[in-house]
Amino acid sequence: MIALFRQNRSVPVMLAVLVIFAAFVTLLSEGAGTGALSTSLVKTLGMTTCLAIVALAMDMVWGYAGILSLGHMAFFALGGYMIGMWLMVARTEGVIAASLAQAPLPPTPQELTDAVAVQIFGVVGGNSFPWMWAFSHSLIAQLLLVVLVPGLLALVFGWLAFRSRVTGVYLSILTQAMTLALSLYLFQNDTGLRGNNGLSGLQNIPGAESVPQSLMSVWFLWASVAALALAYVFAAWVMAGKFGNVTRGIRDDEARVRFLGYPVEGYKLFVFTGTAIMAGIAGALYYPQAGIINPDEMAPIASIYLAVWVAIGGRGRLYGAVIGAVVVSLLSTWFTGGRAPDINLGFYTIQWVDWWTVLLGLGFVLVTLFAPKGLGGLIDLLARRTPQ
Amino acid sequence: MRSLLEVSGVSVTFDGFRAINNLSFQIGEPELRAVIGPNGAGKTTFMDIVTGKTRPDEGKVLWGETSVSLLGMSEAQIARAGIGRKFQRPTVFEDQTVADNLMVALKKDRGPFQVLFFRPSPADHARVEDLAAEIGLSAHLQTQAGILSHGQKQWLEIGMLLAQEPRLLLVDEPAAGMSQPERDHTTELLKEAAKTRAVVVVEHDMDFVRKLDCKVTVLHEGSVLAEGSLDHVTSNQQVIDVYLGR
Repeated sequence: MIALFRQNRSVPVMLAVLVIFAAFVTLLSEGAGTGALSTSLVKTLGMTTCLAIVALAMDMVWGYAGILSLGHMAFFALGGYMIGMWLMVARTEGVIAASLAQAPLPPTPQELTDAVAVQIFGVVGGNSFPWMWAFSHSLIAQLLLVVLVPGLLALVFGWLAFRSRVTGVYLSILTQAMTLALSLYLFQNDTGLRGNNGLSGLQNIPGAESVPQSLMSVWFLWASVAALALAYVFAAWVMAGKFGNVTRGIRDDEARVRFLGYPVEGYKLFVFTGTAIMAGIAGALYYPQAGIINPDEMAPIASIYLAVWVAIGGRGRLYGAVIGAVVVSLLSTWFTGGRAPDINLGFYTIQWVDWWTVLLGLGFVLVTLFAPKGLGGLIDLLARRTPQ
Repeated sequence: MRSLLEVSGVSVTFDGFRAINNLSFQIGEPELRAVIGPNGAGKTTFMDIVTGKTRPDEGKVLWGETSVSLLGMSEAQIARAGIGRKFQRPTVFEDQTVADNLMVALKKDRGPFQVLFFRPSPADHARVEDLAAEIGLSAHLQTQAGILSHGQKQWLEIGMLLAQEPRLLLVDEPAAGMSQPERDHTTELLKEAAKTRAVVVVEHDMDFVRKLDCKVTVLHEGSVLAEGSLDHVTSNQQVIDVYLGR
């Protein structure tokens, strides 16, 4: 650990920044501090922290292993769906049990289950639990699924793709196809995950009804920050050793690594699957803060944004991914949230809700042209100027 | 001397073009061998077949005491079996230091899980330093491989091959683009390596081949045209016609 801190000075810096950030937000929050920051802003910051985790995963798979996956947000959303199933069932069960308790005869467990099913699936014309909800009453099982579902999907997809030596842009297109197919599939009402309605009310945590959202948002912020800290240390540890050297070798010269005797496909699969699991965990922390998840979350554009964050932040450097995700997604929230002032040109009014994507695209082009190492590259410059 | 690698009756066709035509080739251990031939003679394709990059249409490629067939093994499996390959263009990991390049190449477990938990021992560091001394890069251990000169990159790649501890080393045009002193150093490296293992050098440059002072195989249109000492093959009329005469 100490050796890692010494080898990669960004690790202690990042950990310190995270602790200061979380403490700062807590002190200014409505739930635990002065109230200068609204609860919705605290939630946005917590969610942004989760996006930084998935950006870190993206940096490992793209920046270090050279696999431009444009499907990692699918794994992120799957993680969200898995935790969302438990949240929705447990919450609905609580509400219905409370209301049926007033009835003259106490409800049987079967009646209770049926009532919960009608409540959840009535919106898509269902009245019983689909098979994939088999474990939805168990938090432990759904937490395992947060890891297993994205992990297994990535494992099978990656095995098929890497075994056939699909690389470069072809692999990117395949991953886009995967996330699009998954999203279209889930948009159908009869697939068992409530179609385009998605899962909602996820901000209500069962068993913590008495905790106000203003405080809950602070708890989730700390959980997200802790997860990002762990993910950062983990990523730095993996990439610091020989594994990182082999992985970067695969990015730079796949054939050389292969002729040195390394099973290149195995490494790619390892990184692809591992980062899919990271993305799934990040999603499981994100959606209880967002409150709602629907298949739109795994639309192909989401994964492209993820790549843009990492490119702007600077790939191949872990803090670059974190900086890119935080800066770009917060700017995006600001511009699309209607709070950015419109610019009246007389003949035309620039409304940022529409023009933000143009600005982002422009920023992406400028960074690629003038700062190919991204915002993280600027930090490298500063760090080099500072005498050690 | 018994044969380490035995290639027999191998043919391969690309889109109707016969790159290798009923080629047979043997090499023992230890041995230094130069393979020469005009462009398109099939020198690189021959290496591709031995290292598993290209599958031949017919023929056999047998390896080692137990005569295992190399056909059907992946590139990585063949490399782990003990065949190292140096590419024509120097291929090293430019973004990593010389020491890291050599450390990655050291003969160790290659699986992702073992590598994830691998931490170099003092013996590993010592081995990396020895290798760096051997290839003349001791002063550059912490240098990024990308800023080395062309010749230094070639040596680093040879060092990485040596770190693999292969029994057979396939070297594609090691002297291309090198100055005379660099060539001499490369000759020394290859001769030294060939004392304990089999080394096959594909080369265009006759002066370089002469300095290697070893048995020569001449390839032409995908098969062996002549084999023997350099003086023997250069006096062969067929060789003069297809290669030297031009």
